[in-house]
Amino acid sequence: MSERIPKGAVVLLAALLLCAPPFYLDAFWLRIGLFSMAAAIGAVGLGLLTGTAGQLSLGHAFFLAVGAYGYTWLAGEPGPGLPTGLAALLAVLLAGAAGGLFSPVAGRVRGIYLGVATLALVFLGHHVLLTADSVTGGFNGRSVPPLSIGGFSFTDDDPGLVLLGVPFGAEERLWFLGLALLAGTWWTARGLLRGRPGRALAALRDSETAAAVMGVDIARHRSAAFVVSSMYAGLAGVLLALAFRRVVPDYFGLALSVDYLAMIVIGGLGSVAGAAAGAVFVTALPLLMTRYADQLPLVTAPGTTDGGVGPTEAARYLYGAAIVLILLYAPDGLRGLVRRVRTRLRPAPPAPAPATRPSASALRTKEPTP
Amino acid sequence: MSLRPTTGTTPGRLPAAPPPLRVRDVTVRFAGLTALDEVSFTVAPGSVHALIGPNGAGKSTCFNVLSGLYRPSSGQVLLGDETLTGRAPHRIAALGVARTFQNIVTTEGTVADNLMVGRHVLSRAGFASTALRLPRAVREQRAHLARAREIAELTGLAARFDTPVALLSYGDRKRVELARALCLEPRVLLLDEPVAGMNGAERARTAEVIDTVRAELGLSVLLVEHDMGLVMRLADEVTVLDFGRRIAHGTPDEVRRHPEVLRAYLGTPGEDAPGEDVPGEDTPARDAGTRGTTAQGTTAQGTTAQGTTAQGTALEEATDSEGDPV
Repeated sequence: MSERIPKGAVVLLAALLLCAPPFYLDAFWLRIGLFSMAAAIGAVGLGLLTGTAGQLSLGHAFFLAVGAYGYTWLAGEPGPGLPTGLAALLAVLLAGAAGGLFSPVAGRVRGIYLGVATLALVFLGHHVLLTADSVTGGFNGRSVPPLSIGGFSFTDDDPGLVLLGVPFGAEERLWFLGLALLAGTWWTARGLLRGRPGRALAALRDSETAAAVMGVDIARHRSAAFVVSSMYAGLAGVLLALAFRRVVPDYFGLALSVDYLAMIVIGGLGSVAGAAAGAVFVTALPLLMTRYADQLPLVTAPGTTDGGVGPTEAARYLYGAAIVLILLYAPDGLRGLVRRVRTRLRPAPPAPAPATRPSASALRTKEPTP
Repeated sequence: MSLRPTTGTTPGRLPAAPPPLRVRDVTVRFAGLTALDEVSFTVAPGSVHALIGPNGAGKSTCFNVLSGLYRPSSGQVLLGDETLTGRAPHRIAALGVARTFQNIVTTEGTVADNLMVGRHVLSRAGFASTALRLPRAVREQRAHLARAREIAELTGLAARFDTPVALLSYGDRKRVELARALCLEPRVLLLDEPVAGMNGAERARTAEVIDTVRAELGLSVLLVEHDMGLVMRLADEVTVLDFGRRIAHGTPDEVRRHPEVLRAYLGTPGEDAPGEDVPGEDTPARDAGTRGTTAQGTTAQGTTAQGTTAQGTALEEATDSEGDPV
């Protein structure tokens, strides 16, 4: 145990590393980072619902849309034109309320059946986004009003800002906003998972009967998990809208929901870090492949029509393959892989050797309990 | 309902004796099959009451009625003045009725995680306060963890408190279930075959634990068990079910000599061949179970089931010398 690095130091180091990119990388990379952070927030929410509570949801895109459009409408014109900070908060609550409205279904329907029920939400949401022109802007979507909190706006110049010789534009500023939101998500989700609600959810995932007999109100916990997951999705939606600067209905389709499922499966169900890692993988891969399409074999540049595989499709093939490989060889996802590598690197575990246990069972009856 | 004691000054709710658990004329029918037929019995406060009978007699059905998983077609279950029938399982748990399962049902995670699930009804922290790690939630969790650790000590799991359940031996996992049920600070504890599949040493140890918790926590125990040695050692009263009907009731000694019980377990003497055929008309599983019990019962004179190992004999002797525990 002594060679272990203290936890505080690891967190500090990670924070320093994550704060560095805006000073060294250009806007392209920062945007990839932003999308990844937004996706990570959404994936953590879905991980709570699917990984911990065992409830499949294909409606995550709907709640992302509620967050993104909710913010855009609340803060923009046409719309109430609220202060943007308040609009962002309300958008998250709106997504939670939307999840709450669905809770009569979410509380009663189990596992894969909930997945099918939530499918309806995605189609419904997409239809509404296309048709409710006055709120959503229809097919062309709406431009997103930039966030500004207490006179500090997350745009290129207002007020102009230069830190350590680096001009801080929208991406640089949003990077830190994203980091703060992701840290908040991480912290709250870990707290939830390790606390009373998380344990109750895991118990009802593993056996509904046993959980009920232990006093867990099944329907209430299922709906609550759905609401919390929707709120994380709403927050992710707000950040996505800010990063994209424009919201369009076609982004929030079924494919997005499936992407989020892919994230949590690749990352490892039931873990916050896994969900975040999966989100980075699934989000960054297509963007990187688009950027380097000309240098990659078998991939044609976007926009060419000679029948080759475009970078987006290629990325989909790749992560499809990644899912299959992970399900076959690392069912615990990236998290399980990391854990396995770590146990292999570490010499003999200091824990009481479990190998000697069975033969000691006779002795154990006399041994005083510490 | 007030918050029950959570910190470990006095374990549980020692002074107040648990209310009697009364089962009155409970009938359960599954599409034409009568699993329980007007069964009545009372678990006296602070006693160990055993429910025995051949496989398929309705013991587990009875447990499922008690914990709210099944609704009886007729009849009532009362805990003191509270009616349990018709309540949702989690509400029954909140009234202080905890149970274990015949096949182990634990949650992924460590022993501590599992025991903390048992503290669910006794704690308050909701989604918001847990997510924001409010001091109240953190403090509550710490207090409950301390109590869970005490219960782990009581049940002999202290050394494995932070071990993932998946790595534990069968007997230990079975004991995790018992400890988790105890974490509800129950007034009535329902144990569904607590020693099934255990070896002799593990059986003796679990019997000891049940004895200890009954003595220290002062709770009533309803026990379903095939191990007659354990039943005879622990039980104050025994109710025998067969084909969903109560066929006998009384102290272990009375029940052991009851002609109906002998018939149900051993078959009717003298008409071996037809007697063996009668259960054959029933489901095959039941038939096999009856035969199995018959064979064991015959070898051990109906006192110890499943083999007279060294531990089994020791257990029997212990029963004789100790007499009635508590």
